Amino acid sequence: MLKKHIVKIKTGFIAILLTSNIAFAENIEVKFAYLGQKGHTALLGAQQGLSEANLQGQFLNQKYDLDLISIEDANAHDFSDYIAVLTAVDTDTYIKLTESLPDIAVFNLSLKDDELRSTCINNALHIIPSNTMEADAKNQWQKKKPDSTAKAQAWHPDFVKFAARDLNKRFKKNQNKLMDDNSWAGWAAVKMTSDTVARTKINDSAKMLHYLKTELAFDGQKGSVMNFRETGQLRQPMLLVEDNNIVAEAPVRGIAKPPTLDSLGILSCEK
Amino acid sequence: MKLYLAPIIFFVFVCNSVSAAPTGRIFVTNERGDSVSVINGSSLTVEATIDVGERPRGIGLSPDGNELYVAVSEENKIKVIDPTSLKILREFEAGSDPETFAVHPNGNIYISNEDDAKASVFDPKTGEQIAEIHVGLEPEGVAISPDGKRVIVTSESTNMLHVIKASDNTIENNILVGSRPRAATFTKSGDIAYATAEISGEVVKVDMNTGEILKRGSTGDSKSKPKDVVLSKDESVIYVAGGRANKVVVMDAKTLEIITGIPVGKRVWGLAISKNGEQVFSTDGVSGTVSVINTSKNEVIKTVEVGKFPWGVVIND
Repeated sequence: MLKKHIVKIKTGFIAILLTSNIAFAENIEVKFAYLGQKGHTALLGAQQGLSEANLQGQFLNQKYDLDLISIEDANAHDFSDYIAVLTAVDTDTYIKLTESLPDIAVFNLSLKDDELRSTCINNALHIIPSNTMEADAKNQWQKKKPDSTAKAQAWHPDFVKFAARDLNKRFKKNQNKLMDDNSWAGWAAVKMTSDTVARTKINDSAKMLHYLKTELAFDGQKGSVMNFRETGQLRQPMLLVEDNNIVAEAPVRGIAKPPTLDSLGILSCEK
Repeated sequence: MKLYLAPIIFFVFVCNSVSAAPTGRIFVTNERGDSVSVINGSSLTVEATIDVGERPRGIGLSPDGNELYVAVSEENKIKVIDPTSLKILREFEAGSDPETFAVHPNGNIYISNEDDAKASVFDPKTGEQIAEIHVGLEPEGVAISPDGKRVIVTSESTNMLHVIKASDNTIENNILVGSRPRAATFTKSGDIAYATAEISGEVVKVDMNTGEILKRGSTGDSKSKPKDVVLSKDESVIYVAGGRANKVVVMDAKTLEIITGIPVGKRVWGLAISKNGEQVFSTDGVSGTVSVINTSKNEVIKTVEVGKFPWGVVIND
């Protein structure tokens, strides 16, 4: 009697396993390349993004990986297997990389140079806000508070709204550091790519680049839907921080004209 | 023998029959007020405020209406309150950062643990954890089909509805929806569910048997960050909390077209509909109010001041 029961339970268990295998038949493996210093916080952000991509991937049978490539080895390296390249490098290296990898998105996680935006490099995707974006945000705030010495940044570890609290919490728990602008950028680059893979099953770098530039609607945990300008810059809200306290968000309410996210930074390419 | 049995039989009889008449009260958690506001259902005024602990969010009633449950997030607890005497009866540990939950027809509580990428099942009578289900990041909304067969847990950062088979608490499907899915509700048959996606500003209508998205509908306004969703009694319309659009959006349940937007207080999140379908209550977080909507007119008939940042609402009717 008892034996019969056990057999029954076992068959039931096998049946469950079988159905879940059928549901998860499709298998996608996605690889990112990272170029930059190993200790850079942008890399920690990318690794956080990767762990979240794999958490989502376990429900969709998608696997994500990241290769660290040194700048010296970049010339000889075969990049054809990567969905996108993440970088925290100097300006010259960044430009060279975008030139040598024309059919792959090269994410900029650290450089604020306005020229990188106004020259509209086709495959350059700038997650980090530009110098002009920072200055515009600061100016908007000073119209409201002329004496403020607040500076604009992309992220802050005390940011709590729009579930930023959750992202800050899990970043700190997993990476043992506070999330800064570069780590937010690294996280966002991986997350927007993996979200796209999850939704579209795109696993081709040129198609990914095209999708990111034209169809992205990204939740960067800052409240607004984010997408890219023709300059390659990610449209995003910014935070105004004075004495390490968040004092406001930009676009500053009542000052910025709609579409408010475009009140920050350069909008179009140099002719 | 008879003498010994008599009191036991009497006791059992009394226990089964005290399915007390519903109080008619509306209970509201105040996220930053650390309290629950108790609104009298006839006068629509606050008749009491219960201190419950730090950051109360999710709120629900036992199937017989005799116990009120409140998720006190910062204390990682669910507190059990008597809806008549308003006394806290007991409390139990509910995992890390308990947020939203739903009560199964069998009395068990399904709760999302936002920090831990999981949902847990508790028996509120004993406080024991019955099961743990791994889901996506930032699990939020929980909905249970009226027949108790299926449970939906939304994961905000993984953009999914995780469909859980209640009989063995395993995941039977993962449905990718818009960005930041926050809440869901089932039709009476359990065949269809509606879910909101905050960042994409849309509602999706999902076939629960196939997992197919049947329809998507925008909540309009770009400020509209939809949160809670409830169905009208006849299931012809849905009411959606419009977040920063400061209105409750009324949509056709079939086409997901917007019928109207009812202006309420600021940052509207929580919604509850009365059993007779005549009233919808919304929590207006920034305004610190609850708006009472008459569903035949689609108008606010009363605005009730409650505590700081009202979050969830439930009706004991």
